[in-house]
Amino acid sequence: MKSGTVPSRRLWWLGAGFVVWCSGLVMLYALHAIGCAFAWPGGGLRTTLVVVLLVHLLVVGWMWRNFGKAGPDPLFSPTGNFLHVAIFWVTIAAFVSTLLTLGPPLLLSICI
Amino acid sequence: MSASLEQPPQATTALRLHRQLDAIWATGPGLQRFAAVNHSVLGMRMMITSFLFFAIAGVLGMLVRVQLATPHSTFMDPETYNQVFTMHGSMMLFLFAIPMVESFAVYLTPKILGTRDFAFPRLTAYGYWCYVLGATILTVSLLARVAPNGGWFMYTPLSSNAYSPGLNADVWLLGVTFVEISALSLAIEIIVSVLKMRAPGMSLDKMPIFGWYILVTALMMIVAFPPLILGSILLEVERAFGLAFFDPTRGGDALLWQHLFWLFGHPDVYIIFLPMAAVLSTIVPVFARRPLIGYRAIVVAIIALAFLSFGIWVHHMFTVGIPHLALAFFSAGSAIVAVPTALQVFAWLATLAHGRPRWDLPMLYVFGFFFVFVCGGLTGVMLAIVPFDWQAHDTYFVVAHMHYVVAGALAFPMLAAFYYWLPLLTGRTAVQWLSKLAFWLVFLGFNLTFFMMHLTGLMGMPRRIYTYRGDEGWNWLNLLSSVGSFVMTIGFGLVVIDVLIQLRHGRRVRRDPWGATTFEWAMPIPPKPYNFASIPHVGPETDKVAQGRLALSLARGEGYLGFARNGWQETLGVHMTSGEPEQLIVLPQPTYLPLWTALVTGGAVLALLFKLYALAVVAALVIVGLFLFSAQRSGHARDYGALPIGRGLSVPPHTEVAGAPPWLALICALVADGTLFTSLIFGTFYLWIAAPNWPASAAPTPSWTLAIGTIAGLAVAVFAARGSLRAIAGGGRPQGWIGLALVALVAAIAAVVAMIGGVTPHPTEHALGSTAAALLTYVAIHAGIGIVFLLSNLLRIAGGYVSPRRLLDPRLSRLWLDYTLATGLIALALVLALPSLAGMLGARA
Repeated sequence: MKSGTVPSRRLWWLGAGFVVWCSGLVMLYALHAIGCAFAWPGGGLRTTLVVVLLVHLLVVGWMWRNFGKAGPDPLFSPTGNFLHVAIFWVTIAAFVSTLLTLGPPLLLSICI
Repeated sequence: MSASLEQPPQATTALRLHRQLDAIWATGPGLQRFAAVNHSVLGMRMMITSFLFFAIAGVLGMLVRVQLATPHSTFMDPETYNQVFTMHGSMMLFLFAIPMVESFAVYLTPKILGTRDFAFPRLTAYGYWCYVLGATILTVSLLARVAPNGGWFMYTPLSSNAYSPGLNADVWLLGVTFVEISALSLAIEIIVSVLKMRAPGMSLDKMPIFGWYILVTALMMIVAFPPLILGSILLEVERAFGLAFFDPTRGGDALLWQHLFWLFGHPDVYIIFLPMAAVLSTIVPVFARRPLIGYRAIVVAIIALAFLSFGIWVHHMFTVGIPHLALAFFSAGSAIVAVPTALQVFAWLATLAHGRPRWDLPMLYVFGFFFVFVCGGLTGVMLAIVPFDWQAHDTYFVVAHMHYVVAGALAFPMLAAFYYWLPLLTGRTAVQWLSKLAFWLVFLGFNLTFFMMHLTGLMGMPRRIYTYRGDEGWNWLNLLSSVGSFVMTIGFGLVVIDVLIQLRHGRRVRRDPWGATTFEWAMPIPPKPYNFASIPHVGPETDKVAQGRLALSLARGEGYLGFARNGWQETLGVHMTSGEPEQLIVLPQPTYLPLWTALVTGGAVLALLFKLYALAVVAALVIVGLFLFSAQRSGHARDYGALPIGRGLSVPPHTEVAGAPPWLALICALVADGTLFTSLIFGTFYLWIAAPNWPASAAPTPSWTLAIGTIAGLAVAVFAARGSLRAIAGGGRPQGWIGLALVALVAAIAAVVAMIGGVTPHPTEHALGSTAAALLTYVAIHAGIGIVFLLSNLLRIAGGYVSPRRLLDPRLSRLWLDYTLATGLIALALVLALPSLAGMLGARA
């Protein structure tokens, strides 16, 4: 591999933001199901769900900030620049998806 | 093997080079056609086969429309109707839509990416034969009147033994699983080939957008199909051996099937759509005569779409009683998935708006797609809204929506693709007036058929009914739908006639008649078995060159590998991101092994279908033997070092590099396998949380000794696999290490089988026992496959196929055993801990 070649492992980052979104969806869905099945107190369950959401937003938000600040590696070719931009925007899309799909539902009645 | 290490002298003429390469790559005549492994041959066969099943499924659809054209119809009895509508849906989805999009990928991807074939030609052939045999089993069942009859989604409990005691449901479960083996194998093939086998210099940012779409689709397939494969296995095991996964009276839950099915079913819509979007993103810029607008944005959109499509499976289950808050996650997801979809539509429109569009035949179908898909997308957003879905669920509104998004979004781009690429195959163009007439009949017929279903659905007509009273106000709408279906069928009939006429009498066209910029037009027409006489280099020298001129240069051997060497089928492997050439891939030549292996696999499926389990075990052992045998003939029995590939470069053969295609293929296979395992864990937790009749009356008493023995055996195998790798790399003898690993795996299997024998409650009494048995069986099977890996290592070491430079075999074994240990730990921990975990959280509300 020549210097300036983008390592193959960087491709994993293309999916990283949405993996966090998946984790948020699965955890919220599972915790909600467990809480309702085992009759956890409504307030406590809602607080737990909000905390889980916030943790996931923080993780994707950190990734967004990290990619935004870092910029493409100047040693890398146009391919590196392309991948950087793609990863950056996929991460933003994941953040927005996490916020819009997982946030507002937490305002609804908890176990009806 | 005696083989030259030097670059042979360049053939003096293009014709001589063609003859040399054709002798190496061509599939033989007569019966040798059954040995074909070439992607062009198999892609074309798959296309024709899937179109045949489209025709059969279309006839079944017309039978449905005849039945529903008038009230009180006695055209079919209820049982026949159930089989016909079930097979219509199953065939369209599993035997036409998925194989058709795959056939496009198989035929076109290597050509568009500028390479000679796929990474695993024998796997392509095996996938094709599995598809043909599985599809044949399903079709024959229809003729024998034992076809599946529980709807294309086989919901439990209708498909459980209590309500479907015959063979019908088994045919679906086994037949569809068989076909999915084909889909999974092709998906792995596609991922590896797109990432590792592009034309040198084709970095990811220069890859045609078609490649991105196909790559993302294949990645979706390896994650989407395992949940349904698992569901089918669990339901078949329940039907055959009385386990309790879906039986609510014994701690199972019928809704688990729906979850597993739709975890596959919803992404499947996008698995069908994305390759067709790839077609559109390829065709639209050609006819707009400008580059595609928003290349990067589209890449981002399809990645987002791929993930979001998985997170909305529950939107098919809005009426099953899930709490509102949870429904809202999936409702919001279902609405937001429209954004990346719309982004692509806007990118195509913007490309047309900013270009100098040329109106030709494929564009007619592109127009048809826009109209139909936007309608289907809008009704999709309506159904994503929970209160609306409650009203429209299980009505013909959903049937209409599904046909607009799946049938329309597939049929119109598919026909656009046919008309666009047929000149590549035939060197001729279509009969214009006939093609246009066919389009308008298909377009008008389609909308007449399915638009009416929105109205009948809103008026309350339920799905799957075989007749109706006649006083509901649906009569004229149903009659129009039926008339429309016949108009549409006449349209498709004209398309077939048009294609046949084109093959013989179409007007001859020059190479690259549309002025395209992708590599498939820079090859001989029709394409030769080796695609390119020499492989193009993507760079400034090819960027602005007309495909016709490039084709001549490549035919003269002026690219990479413009020569024939040792009778090898050679192509190049590249770095995944940069596209720099890094390995010489030598592909296997035609062989009957894929056909034989698929035939035995079909035998195993039939044995399971007719409950001949001993025969099924024998067939499974023969399959293992055939795989071992085929592995013995792969790779090289000596080290070569760097070999010249033309243009002054030399690279080692794939057997001597770390990033060889099989390594990436095994990672993909493990991702698919891991998804199946995760689905099994999901099922276990789901039953624990949601199923009735929990906890079980009999307390589980798993044996800690056996569990520790299993883990110890797997851990020793992992340790020994590392030892064997170190020994080979150091030039030593690895047989002792491999022997130790084999013994450890046998011990682990013995311990885990003993655990399965002692599972309480008994697997047939309660779902807790059933899930424990399933988890433990998973561990045993993986340890068994580990033994196959190690046996293959021993045979290949003895054959001289492994050396300190050729370490791929032991590395693959190590990776497999690492995975087996990791999943074994999780599975055993779950079996041991779940009862205590349930106790810690108290009683269910």
